[in-house]
Amino acid sequence: MSILSQKTHGGRLAALVLLVLPLALYIIVYLVPLGSIVSLSLDNRALSDRFPALRVVLDQGAEATPDMRAAALISDLGGLDARQQGETARLLNQEISGFRSLVLETSRNAATIPPTMEALLAFDARWKNAQYWEVIARNVSPISWRHFQKATGLKPGPDGSLYLAEGDDIYLRIMLRTLVIALQVTALTVLLGYPLAYGVANAPRRWSTFILTVILLSFWTSILVRTTAWVVLLQTNGLINTLLIRLGIVSEPVQLIFNRFGVLVAMTHVLLPFAIIPMMNVMRTIPASQGQASRSLGAGGVETFLRVYLPQSLRGVVVGGGTVFILSLGFYVTPALTGGPGDQMLSWYIADFVRRSLNWGMASALSVMLLGGVLLLLTVYGLARWLMARPGKAA
Amino acid sequence: MNLLKLAPFCAVAALSATAVQARDFTIAGWGGNYQDAQRAAYFEPFAQSKGLKFIETTYLGGLAELKTMAETGNVIWDLVITDGPTLQLGCDEGLFETLNWDTIEGKDKLMPEAIGICGVGNVVIGNGFAFNSATFPEGPKNWADFFDLAKFPGKRGIKNEPMMNLEYALMADGVPPEQIYEVLGTPEGVDRAFAQLDRIKGELQYWDAGSQPVEWLAADNVAMSTAYNGRIITAAKEGKPLTYVWTNQIYNIDAWAVPANAPFKAEAMEFLNVANAAENQAKFSTLMPYGPTNVDVIGLLPPEVAANLPAGDNIKDSLFLSDPFWIDHKDELTERWNNWATH
Repeated sequence: MSILSQKTHGGRLAALVLLVLPLALYIIVYLVPLGSIVSLSLDNRALSDRFPALRVVLDQGAEATPDMRAAALISDLGGLDARQQGETARLLNQEISGFRSLVLETSRNAATIPPTMEALLAFDARWKNAQYWEVIARNVSPISWRHFQKATGLKPGPDGSLYLAEGDDIYLRIMLRTLVIALQVTALTVLLGYPLAYGVANAPRRWSTFILTVILLSFWTSILVRTTAWVVLLQTNGLINTLLIRLGIVSEPVQLIFNRFGVLVAMTHVLLPFAIIPMMNVMRTIPASQGQASRSLGAGGVETFLRVYLPQSLRGVVVGGGTVFILSLGFYVTPALTGGPGDQMLSWYIADFVRRSLNWGMASALSVMLLGGVLLLLTVYGLARWLMARPGKAA
Repeated sequence: MNLLKLAPFCAVAALSATAVQARDFTIAGWGGNYQDAQRAAYFEPFAQSKGLKFIETTYLGGLAELKTMAETGNVIWDLVITDGPTLQLGCDEGLFETLNWDTIEGKDKLMPEAIGICGVGNVVIGNGFAFNSATFPEGPKNWADFFDLAKFPGKRGIKNEPMMNLEYALMADGVPPEQIYEVLGTPEGVDRAFAQLDRIKGELQYWDAGSQPVEWLAADNVAMSTAYNGRIITAAKEGKPLTYVWTNQIYNIDAWAVPANAPFKAEAMEFLNVANAAENQAKFSTLMPYGPTNVDVIGLLPPEVAANLPAGDNIKDSLFLSDPFWIDHKDELTERWNNWATH
């Protein structure tokens, strides 16, 4: 008897563990990459570990003589193996163009340079330039904000206060552009999706099945295919321009693609199902009898919609619109194929840093910035909802 | 209970999978017609002569994959085709094996630009511009024409990056090819290049993939576009009315390299001999109109094939893309380019 109960007890425990395990796995799968992205954006050990002697010398501040700095630099650069030389040179070159060759040459010939500033300058006069020394001094600590400084464009001035230089706000502008495009797409999908969702939820069964099939069919088609289809339709001599000219609406082809218009059309189409399906599900739960009740109590069609239907369907609008907004923030392929350089979203630049520049720190910093922006917006939204809900609860 | 019984089997299966790690000789390339031609000219003859099985994969260039392989220690490629700056950067960071040129056949027949510390230059690519000859019967002749909207109105396709576009702009401004990098090395030279680009900025349409210029030109979406010679010549052979302009084009070289610690390193090194052989390069250039790095090849080709390659007379006034310049300046100039392009 007791053995049996123990067995079931063990079985329950095993079942519990088995049930919790996927959840734990889920959290790990989400949180670990996120943590590694954050640490990549700050981790500067690939550079700071290469300058142990110079770090000690620079810590002494004004006491460090030029000869001490030169000797430390020569010993640090001389201690690098071939792989470290290449990596150090590439990372430093991200800050000043041309630093790469200086580092590589000095590092490869370090054994032949006597440990004095005079000898170092005789080897390569470029070391006279204080800029190079400042860049190294900024990078001797294991944590660096340089990627975030670049991402936000904010630089510490000579007096320690942050300032924004002309043209350095490029990633802030792109971040803003990303948010604007996401909001525009959200607004468009909700406006277009609402009547469609209403149709699916309220039309006769045959019709609603037909509309739903059309929506799902495009949902199941690959994003790349749908985007390319828009390129074909919208291009200078594409179907739409030909049609417009045939109908005499325009005399010359209109630029419909490789601009913001093309991006919004293609993204709205791609994301429309994500708005329609949640709205449709909520609308299906609204009983038709409520509308009839409202009409019988004397409200007109508009008033019935505004006071009875809309408030109840709003939950679907929030879920659908929210999904579209979050998804569109990370869009990459669609704007890349249908937009111009003024319409690329943050993901394009993140991909560019990962793939072309091999600057993973910068890619991580931009990702963190995007994530931070979303969290900030969600907080503001949550706060607004909480504040709006309070008086209702009190009453 | 059943699950518990299964567990050891699963563990054994997982362990044996990691222990054997059976995979075939793996080659990474750019894909498309380019890789089809490589397969016929190099992969298949090589695999046949060695009795080796090979698999192919494609990538988009850059060092991201190679860096990941080096950091995780799981090297899944044995041979990769790469461009000059990537080869140099990867070589400096130890992502590629260094080559022992004493054991590589055909070194004395290769162009000097093809001999690298970590790579064997194999394919000469022409970068110039093309136009639709149906639109411009009396076509543009040089970069000055490309940047002249008054003489040749219409949209211009260019790649969305500073590399090569700054060189084109300076050549349009009258800088001779041999002085380009000297001028571009100065801040005034960079300003001068951007000033030229400003003249056509309003009509620019940016491409990312090499297939886009061909589609755009054929559909008359753009009047002219920068392009790879191979794509345009292949399209022209298929009957599209496209003309490639050879004057002052830029040529660069794609090279074979072996990822550091590749399991099939020895086989990959033997592949390099196959890649250098004149008859194989001749076959490649016949299938894909890019140039050979083995100087003997042009003599083996029929004149109508040679006339379409970035080789011989076609590169006599060309500029050889400077890898060192772009390795040093890419980050800075890309930032300026992005700033310029998005405003």
